[in-house]
Amino acid sequence: MKTLISLFGIVSLILMLDIDEARAQCDPAKHTEACIPQLAEGFNFVKSYEINGEGGAKDKIEYSYVFAKGTQYFISICAEGEGTDGIILNLYDSNRKQVGTSYTNGNFNKGIIYPCNATGIYYITFTFEGSKNHCGGSVLGFKR
Amino acid sequence: MKRLLLLSLGILSFAIWSCESDTKLNEQAFLDSLNNTTNENAIISDEVLESIFQQIPSPLEISVLLKESGTNYNKAFLNETDKISAYNSNFKKALNLGVYGTDLGYTNIYEQNQDAIFYLNSIRDLSDGLSIGQFFNFGTIKRLATNSRNLDSLLLITTKNFNSINAYLQGQQRANLSVLLLTGGWVEALHILCEVSGKNPNNQELIERIGEQKITLESIMLLLSFYSDSDPNIADLTKRMGELQAQFENIQISQTYAESTLEEVNGIVTITNKSTSSINITHEDVKKIAATTAQIRDYIIN
Repeated sequence: MKTLISLFGIVSLILMLDIDEARAQCDPAKHTEACIPQLAEGFNFVKSYEINGEGGAKDKIEYSYVFAKGTQYFISICAEGEGTDGIILNLYDSNRKQVGTSYTNGNFNKGIIYPCNATGIYYITFTFEGSKNHCGGSVLGFKR
Repeated sequence: MKRLLLLSLGILSFAIWSCESDTKLNEQAFLDSLNNTTNENAIISDEVLESIFQQIPSPLEISVLLKESGTNYNKAFLNETDKISAYNSNFKKALNLGVYGTDLGYTNIYEQNQDAIFYLNSIRDLSDGLSIGQFFNFGTIKRLATNSRNLDSLLLITTKNFNSINAYLQGQQRANLSVLLLTGGWVEALHILCEVSGKNPNNQELIERIGEQKITLESIMLLLSFYSDSDPNIADLTKRMGELQAQFENIQISQTYAESTLEEVNGIVTITNKSTSSINITHEDVKKIAATTAQIRDYIIN
C-alpha cells in the first residue's frame, strides 16, 4: 500500500512539475506588452492577441476583427528574441480568402500593414513554422 | 526519499488547496457584489464568447474617423457626467461604463483634457461600483490627461484597461456584464456618429460608416441572445436592439475580391489589395437608424 501511495505521489509530483513548467514556458502577456511599442508611428493600439501554441499542441490560433474601409491596420508579432520564432500571421477576408501573410520570400516578418478598402470581418491566424517555443504575442493598431 | 516525496506532495497539495480557497473566497466576494445580473443559464463556451468579443471594433475608430473628417468636438453629443447616482443597478452601471468609455475616447481624440477628467471620474465611480476599479490607476491617468502631449499614452492606458476589464469579467464567468459594457459603448459611438452625420448630411463616408455598423450589430445581437433568456433586463435590451437591427435590414453590403500584392520593407509586409466593398444605404435609412439609436440611448442613460 505504501509503495502504491509513494508511486502515486511521485507521478502526481512529476505531472504537477510538468504542468508548472509548461505554464512557465509561455507567457503571451509578456510578449503582447513588449509588442505595443513596436506599432508603427501614428497607429492607435486597439487589441492584443495572445499566441500560445501550448508547446506545439496547437498548430493554429485564430482571432477575428471587423476592419473598416478607409482605415489602415497594423498587426505586429512578438516572440522571444529579435525574430518571430517561426510565428506566421495570415490575414483572411470574410470569405476566408487570403489577403496577406507575414511570411514572404522565406522571411518571417514582424508585422503587416493592411490599408483596408473592403469593410467586413477579417480572420487573423497565427501558425508556427519551425518554432522553438510556440509562444508569442501580437497587437493590432489602426490609423486613418 | 519516499517520505520526502510524500511530504512534498502533502505540502504541495495543501498549498494548492489554500490557494484555491483564497481564489474561491475572492471570486465569491466578487460574485456577491454582482447583484441583478447573473448568467448561470448561459451555456455558451468561453472560446465562442471570446471569439465574438474580439471581433467587435473599438469605438475609438469612430472617434478618429470623426476627427479626421474635420468635424468639430461637441460635448452635447455625450452623456452627462453627473448621472452616476441614477445608475444604481449593475445592469445600468455596466451599460453606462461602456457609454462613458466611448465618451472618454471621444474627448481624448479631440484633446479635450478637462472634459476627459470628468469622464474619468465617472468611470472610476462606476467601475468601483462594479468591483473592477482595480484596473484603473487614476493617479497616472489623470496626470496624463492634464497634458495633451501625453495623448498617446492616455489612449493606450485607457484602451488597455477596458480590454483588461473585458477579459477579467469573462474570466470571472460574468461575461454578461462585459456584453453590456460593449453594447453601451457601441450604442454611444453609433449615437455620436449619427449626430455628426445629421449635421453633415452630405458626408458620404459617415453615412457608409453608419451602414457598416450592421456587421457589428449582428455580433452584439448574438452576444445578447446568450443572456436574454436568463436575464429580464438583457431580454428587454435585446428587444430594443432588435428594433434597431430591423432598421438595418434593407442595408446591403457587397464585396468584390481581388488578389493582393505584398511588399516587404524592413521586416514589415505592406499589403496592397484592390478588394472593395460597397454599401447601399439611403438618407431615409440613416434617419430611421438615428432615431432608434437615440431611443435606445435614452433608455440606457436615463
